[in-house]
Amino acid sequence: MRVGIIGIGMTAFRPSTPEYSWKELMFEAASRAYADADVDPRTQVDSFITCAEDYYEGFGIFDEFTPDQLGGALRRVCTVTGDGLQGLANAFMQIQTGLIEVAVVEAHSKASDLITLEGIVEHALDPIWNKPLGAHPFVVAGLEADAFLRGTKTSPKALAAVVAKNRRNGLRNPLAAYGADVDPEHVLRSEERFAPLRALDIANPADGCVVLVLASEAAAKRLHANPVWVRGIGWATDSPGLETRDWVQATYAELAARMAYRLAKVRRPTSEIHFAEVDDRFSYKELQHLEAIGLAKRGEAGRKASKGEHDLAGPLPVNASGGSLGCGNVFEATGLHRAAEVALQLRGDAGTHQLDGVRVGVAQSWRFVPSSTGAVAVLGVGR
Amino acid sequence: MTFLERTTDARKLRHWEGNMEADYIYTSGVAGERFFVALRDQGKMLASRCAACGLDYLPARLFCEDCFAELTEFVDVPQEGRVAGLTVAHLDREGVRLSRPQVWAFVTFQGIRGGLVHRLLVPPGRARVGLAVRPKLKAREDRVGAITDIEGFEPVGS
Repeated sequence: MRVGIIGIGMTAFRPSTPEYSWKELMFEAASRAYADADVDPRTQVDSFITCAEDYYEGFGIFDEFTPDQLGGALRRVCTVTGDGLQGLANAFMQIQTGLIEVAVVEAHSKASDLITLEGIVEHALDPIWNKPLGAHPFVVAGLEADAFLRGTKTSPKALAAVVAKNRRNGLRNPLAAYGADVDPEHVLRSEERFAPLRALDIANPADGCVVLVLASEAAAKRLHANPVWVRGIGWATDSPGLETRDWVQATYAELAARMAYRLAKVRRPTSEIHFAEVDDRFSYKELQHLEAIGLAKRGEAGRKASKGEHDLAGPLPVNASGGSLGCGNVFEATGLHRAAEVALQLRGDAGTHQLDGVRVGVAQSWRFVPSSTGAVAVLGVGR
Repeated sequence: MTFLERTTDARKLRHWEGNMEADYIYTSGVAGERFFVALRDQGKMLASRCAACGLDYLPARLFCEDCFAELTEFVDVPQEGRVAGLTVAHLDREGVRLSRPQVWAFVTFQGIRGGLVHRLLVPPGRARVGLAVRPKLKAREDRVGAITDIEGFEPVGS
């Protein structure tokens, strides 16, 4: 059975959202998604899936707070404690069972509500072996960036090229919070934070919400939708321990991609996938993830980025949306945002950052520091 | 011209302050107990051995992540390790700029699966991958049986 995305709704991503509560952000994105899909959530949606982590929200048992603002009161709701792309996988599977015909996936960030963001991220460090040391949690990213650059012989200049590309791409995306005309030299001159990472290598937090409506092929036809098909989806987790995980390669992304490509029957990703939206919340992550999901050979992603091959007009556009560096870090909504951007491109609805002639794209997610979890979705249009 | 800096501080907006009271004790478990008691009392580090996989794990743990066996045997971790990766942090745990940057390293040991992330007790200019290091322990009377009983790693011979 094929499963397709039939509705896309997003709020703008912004550094802060003084006029809306987090529930109202959800209400806006959901209203946009239902208008896009032309469905009534009270009668035409069978299941509602939200993706969140209580600590980011600031209160317990988040899933109890979700139904009303999605149109899901007194209906089937559940929360995936993970990235939005993992929620998309959940919706895909629910529809595949045949019990659910139309499912909604939601993920959001109200990061501006967090006064102690570092403290929340720090809570994810192992409380016995790592957290008592008192390091800023991004030390984990600094260590990994160092391992990646040395292990793949990638130049820090390649990281600067990634940042410049994504911040500039953000200028073309009206939803992006951090679009800016940045050149690589500017990045290399920015303040040192967690060497080799500098201030501009790190995505800034943003608020925003993403809602997707998914349907079985039969339901999509009945609703007169023009779906973007979820051709394949996969997810995986490496060792949670900092000490035994792979520091150079993103093994979780490689395993997730293998599963997604198997379902999508993608055998040669470099020729069959036309563009990618991958997690870039630290600049090196974009390169590491591209290598992990088979869109560059090991050690090649940085050189390709430096040569402009991932630019909007390049042979493999990467993060045409601006990515997290350009749009902002929306935490658990990051992967769902990328899936939404891929779907908009495939529909031809990406506006001034629209790519020409794309029919298959990939979205890849990661659960941020210090996790080693990721997901990959292959989306396509046509048969 | 575009803006690089934006306000993300919600305290400048209409808001209500709240917090989540969240205080815990974390028990170190069977394998952690062995490790931390040995560290405190004998000043040495232990790894847990998986005989089936031929792996000695640091941090010590009760289970093998490869074969899922329960691990009950412990072996000594070599006194010397090497710096396998490093970073220099310019911000403290709360995001405040440090007056003196901190060097952090991932230290590995010959024949041991894993290693330890900890402070590297050298100035940033002297920090390099491959450096031979050993743990610098607190004095016996100050050790409590925690990872902070190790002050950090210092170069061998210093």
